Amino acid sequence: MTFFADFCIPFIVGAAYMALVVAWKYVTWLRHLPKSDLKLIAKGIFSLKSLSATWEVIRESLLHARIWRVNPRLGYMHTSLAFGWFLLIAIGWIETIAYLGFRWVPLQGHVFFKYFVPKNNIETHLPAFDFVMDLLLLFVLSGVAMAWYKRHNSKSVGMKRTTRHTRFDRIALTALWFIFPARLIAESITAALYGGGSFLTGGLGDVLDSIFSRTTLYSIYEASWWAYSCALGLFFVAMPFSRYMHIFTEIPLIFLRHYRLRPTAEESSYDRFEIEACSRCGICIDPCQLQSQLGNNEVQSVYFLRDRRYNMLQQKIVNDCLMCGRCEQVCPVGINLNTLRLNSRVTMRNTPNEGRYKYLKGIDTSQGEGRVGYFAGCMTLLTPKTLHSMQQIFDAAGEQVWWADKSGGVCCGRPMMLSGEVDAAQKMVEKNKELFRVHGITTLVTSCPICLRVFRENYDLEGIEVLHHSEYILRLIKKGRLNITHNAQLTFTYHDPCELGRGSNIYDEPRAVIETIGQLIEPEHNRKNAFCCGASVANTAISDAQQRTIAQKVGAELEATNAETVVTACPLCKKAINRGVERRVADLSEIVAENIKNINR
Amino acid sequence: MKHVVVIGGGVAGIRCAIELAEMGIEVTIVEKQKHIGGKVRNWHKLFPSFTPAENVVEELIKRVQNCQNVQIRCCCEAENITPHQVTISGGETLNCDAVVVASGFTLFDARIKEEYGYGIYDNVITSADLEDMLNRRAVKLTNGASPRRIALLHCVGSRDEKVCQRHCSKVCCVTGVKQAMELKRLFPTADVFNFYMDIRMFGPGYEEMYREAQADYNIHFVRGRISEVSPTIDGKLQIKAEDTLTGRPLKMGVDLLVLLIGMKAGDSNKRFELSCHLRRQDSGFMQPKDSFLGNVESNMNGVFYAGTVTAPKTIGESLNEAVTAAHSVAEWIKHTA
Repeated sequence: MTFFADFCIPFIVGAAYMALVVAWKYVTWLRHLPKSDLKLIAKGIFSLKSLSATWEVIRESLLHARIWRVNPRLGYMHTSLAFGWFLLIAIGWIETIAYLGFRWVPLQGHVFFKYFVPKNNIETHLPAFDFVMDLLLLFVLSGVAMAWYKRHNSKSVGMKRTTRHTRFDRIALTALWFIFPARLIAESITAALYGGGSFLTGGLGDVLDSIFSRTTLYSIYEASWWAYSCALGLFFVAMPFSRYMHIFTEIPLIFLRHYRLRPTAEESSYDRFEIEACSRCGICIDPCQLQSQLGNNEVQSVYFLRDRRYNMLQQKIVNDCLMCGRCEQVCPVGINLNTLRLNSRVTMRNTPNEGRYKYLKGIDTSQGEGRVGYFAGCMTLLTPKTLHSMQQIFDAAGEQVWWADKSGGVCCGRPMMLSGEVDAAQKMVEKNKELFRVHGITTLVTSCPICLRVFRENYDLEGIEVLHHSEYILRLIKKGRLNITHNAQLTFTYHDPCELGRGSNIYDEPRAVIETIGQLIEPEHNRKNAFCCGASVANTAISDAQQRTIAQKVGAELEATNAETVVTACPLCKKAINRGVERRVADLSEIVAENIKNINR
Repeated sequence: MKHVVVIGGGVAGIRCAIELAEMGIEVTIVEKQKHIGGKVRNWHKLFPSFTPAENVVEELIKRVQNCQNVQIRCCCEAENITPHQVTISGGETLNCDAVVVASGFTLFDARIKEEYGYGIYDNVITSADLEDMLNRRAVKLTNGASPRRIALLHCVGSRDEKVCQRHCSKVCCVTGVKQAMELKRLFPTADVFNFYMDIRMFGPGYEEMYREAQADYNIHFVRGRISEVSPTIDGKLQIKAEDTLTGRPLKMGVDLLVLLIGMKAGDSNKRFELSCHLRRQDSGFMQPKDSFLGNVESNMNGVFYAGTVTAPKTIGESLNEAVTAAHSVAEWIKHTA
């Protein structure tokens, strides 16, 4: 057997082209990785990490486990296409071996096996293979049908909106839709003419045989294989430039992640793996409040990654993000969407200026002395009730406190960091670090989740424990240093601040504190799925009116709980929600201070 | 005899009732508070003439009480309004031939602008608190001392998108000037500062008053909003602001901070919209039928407006509108009879 026919050319050319481009991409990306990343790869590659990565590749790249969790209908669609196609290839190879024994067969021999080895050409027919292959083809076709239907009616798979595509995506997508129907027709005609095939290709073959004359079937026989080969070839050519590049990017990405490579504050070659691993499934669109509550399209993570990948990123898209992390939460590929957007901001907006913060030298407006430091942050200074309540709490617990910024101080740096001005932020980080060291604190309490995050993630405060006031207050209560009156009549609802919840993984502490005071009624969206209040300092693109719209929508959901008081644990959220609700909005510290039973000392 | 229900017993409501009564129409005033007289009752003196507020209110109350055909129902609210029926607290319904809504405004709650520390720090008061102190002749600091440096902050809860109050409350600028002059009269050696965005001196005699405040009273005017207030160790208030004329940030220690709180749409307006289908503006104030020829009429025939229920207004403007509303009501009643 020669295993070559003219119709194979589109497939061979396409496959070879794709292999070259993908290989070129891999090599370029890997070559440009920072040295530290290369060392991590060298360390991890021959360790157990590679095994666990392999397992994850099976789970995610083939079975799409995470999509199943987010949306089972989409999960089925992706599994049927990816795993189904994989099995068609794998079983196809086994079939080849079963018929021809262990011998070298060129790639097109496997792919177009039914053409090269029709039933009438073999000694012992193995119908089980026909059945399995038909079943798998049906499995894949069901996925294709779903994908096609989803394009026209995304609500059918539980998505309000689906992604708008680029030209390459549309070529690849169209080719992909044609591959399996073309294969079905080619194999059915083959079955009609030469036998073989099971319930699907065999069945359709019988139907074709009964409708068309043999002559007609013979005349379109070659053409049908040409069509199949062309669809494959076209898909392969468009693939490296389209969303389908994710198929071959996610696999190395999973390995690199297991070797502990991460995107950083500045853009690096590693980012290419994350960016091209985006399949543009569009799952990130629905959770985005800029879309659902403001109708801002084309700014969501999927579009941000698309634009960055094709070098057509605009600042207004980079800036138009609340960094609430709701998209990251659902991304089936687990892409670090916030980090990537942030490092784009750094590239676009960071303007180093040595002289700009010279005035910071010598500034120290702190008051008091103690091992515990309290950092209010700029936003808490605009909600002084929180500061006042913290003072009452510290007094009741008999804590000696060093007040870092009671009458104004140096910003924690995170707002600058979020805007991409990392150099300016670093100046503030250094200044505050110096103050913390000079005053010898061992615990740093802050009532602002924005400050909390930067202290934990960027300050490197060895020997100083950083606590959010919710954690600190809960600790005081547990240790018996703070006695709180419980009144079951008091009802509260709680708004999870993004930086505290999704950002710092603190969900339970504020709830535990609220429950020591009264009854907590949860809003519809809470914890990991909580809404952003809309006032995020990370978004410099939306208007005040748009911020208010978001706040009002979020406020309405909190008011729907009918709780007397809306509690939050972030000064910015408090201010924002106050614009959207008529009932009382309080910081966690306020309701604690109001319900202190006895002053210990 | 024809019967009209006037909702709200403030200056506009009373004035309207008097005018209707004089035309031989029976009137019921529905007032939420224990007494009629509205917010002017609590005011000390009125700009620009420094007329004691009580002169105005007492005269109006005396006149309305002399009207035989005016019934005053205090401590009750209008729950539901139709042109021919008003349901009040307790479920009682008042049948009528027309309704005048003169329910006024609500004072902006200064605690919402938390950064100014109202309700948190001592010696941060509102313009309404100051009027009350002036009435009681008790303008002093919490520790009993006299203030030596005073700041008045304009536009608290007005022209402020951050607290969803975009409108100008109209009367606070001139109130700020008036209160600064009163404070200066009480404490001639004190330094008095007005922090403002614009000074809007639109009425007769206002501009003259503003000049007098600067030339004769030596009151300082700084263009810039205060951004935040914090207490100092020695019991003062430290304010941070930007002088936008010199373009410099400034910090200042003051003994007393007066917040000139704005007029917010009345609390009952939302209810009027939801249950009575009366139209509201984006600002929350009720929407008159037309800004020119129908400014005391509502979108519902037989329901009329008078005073600050439709927008911030001065006392004089509210009184004028009350008269206009009364005449429009009378005309409508005659028409429909």
